[in-house]
Amino acid sequence: MAEICGAEVDEEGFLVDLSDWNKEIAVEMAKGDDIELSEEHWDVINFLRDYFEEYQIAPAVRVLTKAIGKQFGKEKGNSKYLYSLFPYGPGKQGCRFAGLPKPTGCI
Amino acid sequence: MADDFEVPKLPTYLEIPKMNEGVMAGDGPFKSVEEFQTPLGFPGAKVDNWQEVAINKMGELKSKYRSVQVFLDACVKCGACTDKCHYFLGSSDPKNMPVARQDLFRSVYRRHFTFAGKYFPKLVGAKELDDAMLDDWYNYFHQCSQCRRCSVFCPYGIDTAEISMAAREVLDAVGIGQKYCNQILGKAITIGNNLGLPEPALRDTLLDLEEEIEEETGVAVKYPLDQKGAEILLITPSADFFAEPHIDGLIGYGKVFHQDGVSWTMSSYASEGANFGMFIGSYDIMRKAALRIRKAALDLEVSRVMVGECGHAWRVAYSFWNTLSGVGAGADISDEHAMKLQNQLDSRYPQPQHIIEYTHDLIQRNKLKFDKSANDDRTVTFHDSCNVARATNMGGIPNGQFILPREVIKAVCNNYVDMERSTIMESTFCCGGGGGLLTDDLMEIRIKGAMPRMQALKEVEKTDAVDTLVAICAICKSQFSKVLPKFDFDPYMIVSAHQLVSEAIIMDKPQTDDSEAEMPIEETITETVE
Amino acid sequence: MRMAREVVLFESLFKSNKWTWLFGWLFHVGLLLVLIRHARYFWPGDLPEIFLLVQPFKYAAFAMVIGLIGLMGRRIAVERIRYISAPSDYLMLILMLVIGISGAVMTFTSNHTDVIMVKQFASGLLTFDWANLPTEVHFLVHIFMVFVLMAIFPISKLLHVPGVFFSPTRNQVDDARKKRHISPWALRQEKEQEVRLNETLGKDE
Repeated sequence: MAEICGAEVDEEGFLVDLSDWNKEIAVEMAKGDDIELSEEHWDVINFLRDYFEEYQIAPAVRVLTKAIGKQFGKEKGNSKYLYSLFPYGPGKQGCRFAGLPKPTGCI
Repeated sequence: MADDFEVPKLPTYLEIPKMNEGVMAGDGPFKSVEEFQTPLGFPGAKVDNWQEVAINKMGELKSKYRSVQVFLDACVKCGACTDKCHYFLGSSDPKNMPVARQDLFRSVYRRHFTFAGKYFPKLVGAKELDDAMLDDWYNYFHQCSQCRRCSVFCPYGIDTAEISMAAREVLDAVGIGQKYCNQILGKAITIGNNLGLPEPALRDTLLDLEEEIEEETGVAVKYPLDQKGAEILLITPSADFFAEPHIDGLIGYGKVFHQDGVSWTMSSYASEGANFGMFIGSYDIMRKAALRIRKAALDLEVSRVMVGECGHAWRVAYSFWNTLSGVGAGADISDEHAMKLQNQLDSRYPQPQHIIEYTHDLIQRNKLKFDKSANDDRTVTFHDSCNVARATNMGGIPNGQFILPREVIKAVCNNYVDMERSTIMESTFCCGGGGGLLTDDLMEIRIKGAMPRMQALKEVEKTDAVDTLVAICAICKSQFSKVLPKFDFDPYMIVSAHQLVSEAIIMDKPQTDDSEAEMPIEETITETVE
Repeated sequence: MRMAREVVLFESLFKSNKWTWLFGWLFHVGLLLVLIRHARYFWPGDLPEIFLLVQPFKYAAFAMVIGLIGLMGRRIAVERIRYISAPSDYLMLILMLVIGISGAVMTFTSNHTDVIMVKQFASGLLTFDWANLPTEVHFLVHIFMVFVLMAIFPISKLLHVPGVFFSPTRNQVDDARKKRHISPWALRQEKEQEVRLNETLGKDE
């Protein structure tokens, strides 16, 4: 199994033990995808982590976009904006950086 | 996520490719691990005596399922199916020809279960089940979306889907499972849906949705959860709660229910329409998932069970629910298990009923009003989802599964065009992501397999400026939003049928003062179905 | 109805591949007509007049042979079909070809076999009465190959003949919502688990 900053990740790059997460891991994961984490990235990552803590699951895309729009301005409340931050999808890539499990299903 | 393959070019005419042996050889999708295997009752890792276990399992399947035995025996290698699979057309790997895919399984069957194969294996192409064969099984039976297109063209109706389900069942029995399917199934039979969406999160998501619709339309459309005594229990794929563009379809269902004024509910215990038990061929697990719906229906005391836009869910519901869990009609009086539920369900309606059947019926009875011009910015075509097209019916009329969705779409939009005849209806090309293949580690075969559908779409884009693709399957919608951009389409062109309904439907505004319109309410146009 | 169209017209095959359909259908229809004509070798006593009607069926032998040659040609020439063919697939075609050609040779060349003698032999077979056979080579080849064919029938792909009638995707009725179909093993399983299920109903919410 591969490791990032000493934490085990699965074949898809998601943390095996979610409690391993720290900011360095997120930065390191983003580097692997040629992304430098900006303030805007962190806004999303922090929201994902908060939501996960409350509900034990990642938010639906619609919930995420609405929440981001409410908190950080309407122009950011759409999936195009989120995709510009996370080209592989806010759900999958965003969750990975945030140390959440990969969303599964017909999505 | 291998990116080192070429996205197929879209030809002007769909041609049968020259064979390229081994282009899709490989290790297959990520394998399941003990954590996901054990809850389903499968060994956590490849067992030591796997050959023995596998052959015994094959024997069991042969005796349990007439389909498996007849399909394995009846093939005469006429070759009619060889150019019918979208994965062969898109990848050119000969092992993706339906008969060659079946032969991976059939050659072992012949070796162990037929006279000729036991004594003259070379002569009849019978082979031993060795490591290389097992690896080929894992790889190539996960390049089949069980779409059944080949079976339409086979003179004996041989259905590769059945063979690939059997092969996956044998693989699971020896401890080799697919991560994507088995991880999801674990969540589906414990939490109640494929996402692992727990009740509080679901409730919150639905509240959010209600808020959004009220903001947009001024109408308080409700999304009831676990409401005992409701008339209709809606079972919809959990992607409808979670993903784009699915959720706009869910908004559409809610608006239709609201306009009809019927009481309805969803269940947090059975919050999934999809049933991946079918993909892995397991009757037991498919039944476990279906029994959650039975229990929800009994507990919530509903009189109708309805299914949202999901392809294989509708196959399982339409063809198997009655058998698996008694959701249906016509059980024998002595059949207590089924009668318990069937006495509760309202026999005036088909049980289960598809949401398209429901909306279609309301349209025919002039219960819904539409402003078709709301969809005038679109030119629409419809993708027949494989499981709906080739394994189910709607409306109880021949070919209803093709007619009803088209009539619903035409009732809500003015510009509709069909794709090439040989790529729709019973000959429809799979989206490329069905049958448990909708996972990133299978992206190469998903893209290649999408080529035939994309080719037909490109044609109507050229000739009729089609810019909207409608599907009634959660997998199709997700798959298309991923592969469309690879073929230079707009990923947002894929929508739910009920998204179009949602955009055109005219909602009755509540009778309050502040509805004193900023926008004058247009004259309501009542559309009847052609 | 669906089944009848399938068996008589090969409807699905027509939809999928016109050439395979043409050759396959020619062969099968040819074979059927020729077989009907062969009834006269088994008919006890004098032939009723109806057999005059089937007399022209002898030309069906050509259809049968042409069909077989076409199928063989495809199996060799088309890359995809060559890929899926096992030796037995070719052998079966060769066997049928030898039978067809040797039969046609008897009927259409001057090497006529003594059909009365054949008839005595064939009728004798029905009553386990072994009569003498003509000894022309092509006849012996013909009848020997037919015996081979009959011998391998139950263990070869010729089983597609009864198989087609059992195919679930062709013979099942579309009534799953109106009628509960449950197989005996599934019913047994359901009964065994019923008790446990009832215990959990309505509990864990």
